[in-house]
Amino acid sequence: MTFRIRFFLISLLALLCCTSLQAAELANPRSMAFPPLTFAVPKAERAVLQNGTPVYLLQDHELPLVTVTALLHTGSVYDPPGKSGLAALTGSQLRGGGTGALTPAQLDGELEFMASSIESSFGTDLGSVTMTSLAKNLPRSLQLFSDILFKPRFDEHRLNVARQQVLDAIRRQNDDPKELADRELRKAIYAGHPLGLEPTADSIKAITRTDLQAFQTQFIRPDTMILAVSGDFERSAMLAQLNQLIGSIVPAKPLALPVVPQVTPSFSPAVLYAPKQINQTVIRLGHLGITKDDPDLYAVRVLDFILGGSFTSRLMMEIRTNQGLAYNVGSSFDVGRHFIGSFTAETETRAEKTGKTIGLMETIIAGMQQHPVSPDELKLAKESIINSFLFGFTTPASIVLQQARLEFYSYPADYLDRYRDRIAAVTREDLLRAARKHLHPEAFKLVVVGDQQHFDKPLQQFGKVTTLSLP
Amino acid sequence: MKQTLHYLLTGLLLLCCLVSQAVAAGLEDKVIEHSYPNGLKLLMVERHTSPTVSAWIRFKVGSVNERSDERGIAHLLEHMLFKGTKTLGTRNYAAEAPLLQKIEQVAQRMLAEEAKGDKADKSKLEQQRSELAGLEKKAEKYVIKDEFFDLYARNGGVGYNAFTARDGTTYLISLPSNKLELWAAIESDRMKNAVLREFYTERSVVMEERRRSYDAEPSAKLWETFVAAAYQAHPYGQPTIGWTSDIKQLSRTKAESFLHRYYAPNNAVIAVVGDINPAQVIRLVERYFGSIKPGSPVPVVATQEEPQQGERRVEVLGDAEPELLLGFHKPGIGAPDDIVFDVISAILGQGRTSRLYRALVLQKQLATQVSVFDAPGSLYPNLLVLYAAPRAPHSAAEVEQALLEELERLKREPVSTRELEQVLNQLEYEEARRMGTNGGLARNLTEYEATAGTWRYMTTYRAKVARVTPADIQRVARQYLTRENRLVGVLTTDKTGGKQL
Repeated sequence: MTFRIRFFLISLLALLCCTSLQAAELANPRSMAFPPLTFAVPKAERAVLQNGTPVYLLQDHELPLVTVTALLHTGSVYDPPGKSGLAALTGSQLRGGGTGALTPAQLDGELEFMASSIESSFGTDLGSVTMTSLAKNLPRSLQLFSDILFKPRFDEHRLNVARQQVLDAIRRQNDDPKELADRELRKAIYAGHPLGLEPTADSIKAITRTDLQAFQTQFIRPDTMILAVSGDFERSAMLAQLNQLIGSIVPAKPLALPVVPQVTPSFSPAVLYAPKQINQTVIRLGHLGITKDDPDLYAVRVLDFILGGSFTSRLMMEIRTNQGLAYNVGSSFDVGRHFIGSFTAETETRAEKTGKTIGLMETIIAGMQQHPVSPDELKLAKESIINSFLFGFTTPASIVLQQARLEFYSYPADYLDRYRDRIAAVTREDLLRAARKHLHPEAFKLVVVGDQQHFDKPLQQFGKVTTLSLP
Repeated sequence: MKQTLHYLLTGLLLLCCLVSQAVAAGLEDKVIEHSYPNGLKLLMVERHTSPTVSAWIRFKVGSVNERSDERGIAHLLEHMLFKGTKTLGTRNYAAEAPLLQKIEQVAQRMLAEEAKGDKADKSKLEQQRSELAGLEKKAEKYVIKDEFFDLYARNGGVGYNAFTARDGTTYLISLPSNKLELWAAIESDRMKNAVLREFYTERSVVMEERRRSYDAEPSAKLWETFVAAAYQAHPYGQPTIGWTSDIKQLSRTKAESFLHRYYAPNNAVIAVVGDINPAQVIRLVERYFGSIKPGSPVPVVATQEEPQQGERRVEVLGDAEPELLLGFHKPGIGAPDDIVFDVISAILGQGRTSRLYRALVLQKQLATQVSVFDAPGSLYPNLLVLYAAPRAPHSAAEVEQALLEELERLKREPVSTRELEQVLNQLEYEEARRMGTNGGLARNLTEYEATAGTWRYMTTYRAKVARVTPADIQRVARQYLTRENRLVGVLTTDKTGGKQL
């Protein structure tokens, strides 16, 4: 299916008018009118390989490039006990460790010489492997893509290099105070769940090549996979090659993804302090949030914009614009797909304003629960979300990947088509209700990284302080 | 401006794709150029992939153009240019203007007192500061906060931002394509009628930006120190954001003087890329920007760095694991040897097959990360920089030795034709890839028009790279990658946490 979007260009009439408007009054940005633009969500074709693997396809011949992505049901939530980091290492070594036919050096050499790229990375509950290639090298790139997925070599030397790199990254994990704070907040919010686990030197050292092979066999299979293909390819040739490379694979055993328990919704406050001799304090706070299936999803999206997700948000406006206390400040609901997501807020401010700024953040967040937002705030948020919706579809690769992800996470079929209407339907009352239900200012996990001898107020003011012993 | 970028350490990863700076012959046919009588240059590419458009305005003025008492002003002014105009961001400019004048008078007295340092009259200062705060509060009732953001946001604009670098300052936005006139109206008003309201509060925001980006980040502190050490005479050495003490003495008067000198159509390049009708855009820009008067051309920085006569080393102690930077002075964009350096960068640092990755990361396992890029600007002679993160227990000194060995090898042995071929193949890919987004294309068009003098730099680039020979690389390596032309920067671990409870 060719990539085509229906929309109306500015009419010829308007065009002719412009030419004679040299001396005319310039339009006022507050009240100017615009030609209409209707935007229908572009659709990719969904095909199915002979073994049942779904493939989303979108041709676009503007540039001689092809992108292919495999989405896989895998990730760190499936790390076995004591082996945190296995999914991430498997992800990196799929590509890094060579294939059955090629040593790692040969694979690197061949890919980079033809300027193709294949990169794999596994997150918490989604793994992705993405190939980009010049159209003229497509058949060979696709062959290597499939070998990387299904015939990885997991070269022992490369695995050792990768393991040492992770160990070094762990040594460096407290170097940047912002990263340190982000990590400690995540650990506190998801304590007791696999999402709250971080790899340690011990867990990394415990991982062997056999573990990677077993993990690959368990999770990289056509029946955990959705493919997304976009760019300058010919449909029937693409499907034929995908069928030959991937559609022909039938797993030996039936699929049995391990069951990972849902996060237990629990809310309790904590103050976590990490000492660092720095002149600017890093502040992070948050708690558990919602999943995509929550009926308040759309209200939460709008709430996010108003509270901390835009330049004119309440947090930004007060803490940065009005008071000059910070450069970066904001908040967001990270909406969970399989697992409950989170609400987090962040800023950095000079040590002497630490207490004041934490207090302001808490007050501004709690304010969302006290009164309905103003009609103007609601209008701005809704218009911004609705009018910028089309930026989710600016490249063929993003369109096709978006659709594959929606199927991957079992979104309703009308999700994109109805998205703008559902945002438009959100009311001030919805927002107030959602704020009262999903914000828990009384139960923030507060993480503070800095030098407390310069703080304006003792941290104890915000609760019982636990000083983190940094690894 | 939420993440007001200014080219700091982003270079470490982003700029390592130097060699990617080339573009398909196809671009030659796609770019439409238009020059206006007031000196404004407009570049356009029509792409109907989606009903969106990206518009970038680059002013050919950056921190390299600051006088010594203005350090940091280009960047602070970039923040200030989001604060509105005589008609936007204000409820009543006529009533607001006298207050703004009064604020600046008090601020000038306060700055004069602060300049006395230890000899300043403390009670006088306190009184001036509270007077300033009181007046700013009073002026606030006329302010419509962040109205530019508000207008763009409700019309579906995304990526509204700006960044300041050594060589230039860029303002960018992407909009649904039917809203391009909003951009023309706001941006032309900003060029003509900017009002730098809320100045001293915004200066505090920039102080926080500095703390966040440099003071509290050992890696960035090393970068800032390293670049400053590289330049004794040329202003490339000063950080774009300004030194702490510089930011503290910046005033609205200085910002306005800088603004009125340079932010004019003759110093600007505009790129509009996306779902457009170029003939219409030419008329739109004419209507909104055509009457703006030209300003002073940005003068060429006359100061030249003296040739370095011996290795320079700097060390930063920080609460972080070690890092290493090696630098060599080299010519800027447009010099014939600059292209040779691009090829050297690619062979040394691009990808898993690059020489440094293979030798230091895979074989010797001395480092976990290596990268090669040039910085801190490109208009004037700059630096080839090699970055490495040593892998414990290996020291920065061991890594330095291994890097130098690879540089010696460049002098000793001609590079292989396969390595050169790979550089060209990668360029072929990049030429296609970079055409794939409106914003990326607008960025490159404005960047090369401003620094290389023409966007056509991109279309002629691959042919120039193809002419680079193994002998050129050996000659350039021998000429520049020498001890006396070398800088070494090391981040040394000094772990001391804050006081315990």
